[in-house]
Amino acid sequence: MPSLDIMGLSKNFGSLQALKDLTLNVDTPQCIGILGPNGAGKTTLLKIITNILKPSEGKILVNGINVNQNPTKALEKIGALVEQPEFYPYLTGRDTMKFVARIKGMSVSESSDEIEKLGRITGITGYLDRKTGEYSRGMKQRLGLAVSMIGDPEIIILDEPTFGLDPRGMKEMRDILIALKEEKRRIILFSTHLISEAREVCDRVIIVDKGEIKFNEEISGMRGNKMRIRGDFNHVAKITGAKEITSKGNEITVEMNPGATRNSILRELMESGVEIDSVEGMDRMEEVYLSLVQ
Amino acid sequence: MANRFSITYGYYFRNYYRSRSFYLMLLLVLLVSGLMVYLSFRYINKLPDFIPELKGEAISTSLKEDLFLYIWAFVLSDLPVFAAVFFGSPAISSEIENRTAFQIFPLPIGRSVLLISKYLASVSVTLIITAIYVIVEVATYTIVFPGQLPATFLKSIGLLAVFIFSISAFTFLVSSIFKKNLYAYITVFLIYFVIFSAMNIVFELIYSYNPFFLLDNAASIVERVFVNVSTSTFAVNNSLAGAPFSSIMVALLVMILYLVVSLVVALLIFENKEVK
Repeated sequence: MPSLDIMGLSKNFGSLQALKDLTLNVDTPQCIGILGPNGAGKTTLLKIITNILKPSEGKILVNGINVNQNPTKALEKIGALVEQPEFYPYLTGRDTMKFVARIKGMSVSESSDEIEKLGRITGITGYLDRKTGEYSRGMKQRLGLAVSMIGDPEIIILDEPTFGLDPRGMKEMRDILIALKEEKRRIILFSTHLISEAREVCDRVIIVDKGEIKFNEEISGMRGNKMRIRGDFNHVAKITGAKEITSKGNEITVEMNPGATRNSILRELMESGVEIDSVEGMDRMEEVYLSLVQ
Repeated sequence: MANRFSITYGYYFRNYYRSRSFYLMLLLVLLVSGLMVYLSFRYINKLPDFIPELKGEAISTSLKEDLFLYIWAFVLSDLPVFAAVFFGSPAISSEIENRTAFQIFPLPIGRSVLLISKYLASVSVTLIITAIYVIVEVATYTIVFPGQLPATFLKSIGLLAVFIFSISAFTFLVSSIFKKNLYAYITVFLIYFVIFSAMNIVFELIYSYNPFFLLDNAASIVERVFVNVSTSTFAVNNSLAGAPFSSIMVALLVMILYLVVSLVVALLIFENKEVK
């Protein structure tokens, strides 16, 4: 079972304290979203985990191995995509992936199979034999994700993986992350600015601000008991399972009774002849984020 | 460990020989080689005119051969400097400036392995570039002076190889200090062509002392094994004989010292390098 222990981690850049005594323990496979404003310390944290930066104080253990003291061993189980990835421009995507696969101990034939498999998953198969200097930002992002997945790492670190992608690319990237998460074999730690992205992909959310963890909770615990539904509600007077219904034009806000589910309410509405245009879950995440981050 | 090292070396070597810098250096070395071939055939019988002490008198074939090899080696000893600047100066600074460090540093591979592999890849492409010039030199020599190359030639090539390792290590050291390629390029050029030259002049003219410890001074042994004339200093003890064994050993030691110290310091800096 993979584990990641961050113990009393601090990082100073001159007089600026980027991380302050940060502690986090993850010992079950799950996807953790790190939310926070610019300069909150999200990327600094991910860079220290991946040995790009050294901690000023504290330590990080990957499967019990100290990253700072034994980075080669600790990083064997980690795949990372930090910042917007750049690669050696005169080498192809295949060269780049092959290098990482071989460094991670794969044989030549194993690495070829791995490259083809990950190329398919990330949608870069057709670009693998092009020099990375010719890649667009989106292609580099996909290649970076493919590289981070080489060798089936137990821990995947992703720093804003959807940044710079077009809407289709963002959706595809999120789908890949969800698929990875659902295998329930690894810890995925990824930073994002988008609350909706964290909500869609993660099991747990951490909010970081001014170098400190301000909030750490499972997404399931943050689900609110309200939802906003748009549609034609002319015939609706009552919904079983709804504690309170507030209507405004063609939109209603439903507060659910304990035990009621979104699906049961939506089914009941459709059975009563309501044409539903859209449904939006209203959870506490945005509320919590805005209250914690100034 | 050895496997990771060879994989990393191959990776960097491929990146070097596919780079624009490599083809630019290749073009440069072909142009210089062509020019040297032309000059060799054009002026081979006028060599005595270049040595004022000979006052245009006829010289022996052996001295003629040495002068021929001296002039080719004189140009040859500058080629690794340009190659090292092209390949070595951006070696580490580019990892920061081009942000490739974000891809390389999280890999399960020691930074020392990364640096040494890249260093050897850089040395390899420099050796390839200089080998082209040497092949042209040997071909020209065998046409102009039918017969075997003197043993001194091999000595000169051996010293050149050490110099290539040494100057490459020195450029890696400079590169490890900076985060911008341009600063690394400029600094290597300034140190080698301005600061070293200025120090040579100051020591020779003011203190009448040969600054043997400067890398450019030591590198001149590549041509001085044929004729002990130094153009980088104002030395008065020039001689038409080859440099003595003691001078060769001193130059060799200085180059090895630059190599070891530069590489160790570059390693220490690279091991602790952080990318914000």
